[in-house]
Amino acid sequence: MTDLKDFKTRLEIAKKKLKINSKKSNITGNGSFMGSAFKLGTELVSAVALGTIIGFILDSWFDTKPWLMIVFFFLGSAAGILNVIKAAKRMQEKN
Amino acid sequence: MATNPMHQFTVYKIGPEIKIAGIDLSFTNASLFMLLSAAAICAVLFLGTKEKKIIPSKFQLISEMFYNFIAKMINDTAGSKAKPYFPFIFSLFMFVLFCNMLGMLPYSFTVTSHIIVTLLMATFIFVAVTVIGFFKHGLSYLKLFVPSGVPAILLPLITVIEIISYLSRPISLSVRLFANMMAGHTMLKVFGGFVISLGMLGGWLPLGFSVALTGLEILVAFLQAYVFAILTCIYLNDALNLHH
Repeated sequence: MTDLKDFKTRLEIAKKKLKINSKKSNITGNGSFMGSAFKLGTELVSAVALGTIIGFILDSWFDTKPWLMIVFFFLGSAAGILNVIKAAKRMQEKN
Repeated sequence: MATNPMHQFTVYKIGPEIKIAGIDLSFTNASLFMLLSAAAICAVLFLGTKEKKIIPSKFQLISEMFYNFIAKMINDTAGSKAKPYFPFIFSLFMFVLFCNMLGMLPYSFTVTSHIIVTLLMATFIFVAVTVIGFFKHGLSYLKLFVPSGVPAILLPLITVIEIISYLSRPISLSVRLFANMMAGHTMLKVFGGFVISLGMLGGWLPLGFSVALTGLEILVAFLQAYVFAILTCIYLNDALNLHH
């Protein structure tokens, strides 16, 4: 019985130490900054590309080349910037 | 031999050609490495959970670390409502991670460096999240596209932009993983080629770069699996807790 008690107190101490350590450094560390940099880039580009593709498809449906593509390119750019703002906000919330 | 840096990405058939209803279902090196990574995951988790000790063995430690890592990630980003989706996100993370890591071995094939693989996973996540959103909230899930506090004149424009932004999620999710893996592996091969072509005299510098890049690639392999899983959690969070 004393063994078990001893183990429990040691476990408590170890857990406390772990908590202090995890506050000091998170698991992903510096690597996550690079991850976020990649994330913002693709976030911007994918929306622009998607907007242009949607415009291109709509153009071939309605026979309005190239006007819808131009319009949707700018809409896609706006969506891309919106994506980046959302992602950046999420990053700030985390910190 | 393989001096072409893109040669490592070729998919070739292993064994006989199998065609069912005009669809090519032959066993390829890509299928082989998918099976290998699935087998490796099963092996690690099986060895880790075979006998539960207070002082864990190495495999038990690794399995518990993965479990805690994913459980904490889901709890932090998507809240307690996302607990039922833990098995899916755990399998997703483990599969991407093991595919990336197996790709780091020499002479191996990186499954995730093909856009069709990552796009399939991203599209599945996208469709699943959309279905979950409509299932949980009904038509009010569409409020995601109509932010509050926007003047009535701007509303149609903003809605179109929000829809494009929503639809671009699977593309950014899949392109990120695919581009990172492909670019990294191509770069490793290019620097490896420099070592050979510069020979004993000048080959030492690219050799050093190669070593450093291998380390970086292992970091990227882990990081991309992590980013893939955490973005899935974030999308799930949007679908489960609707407040925008």
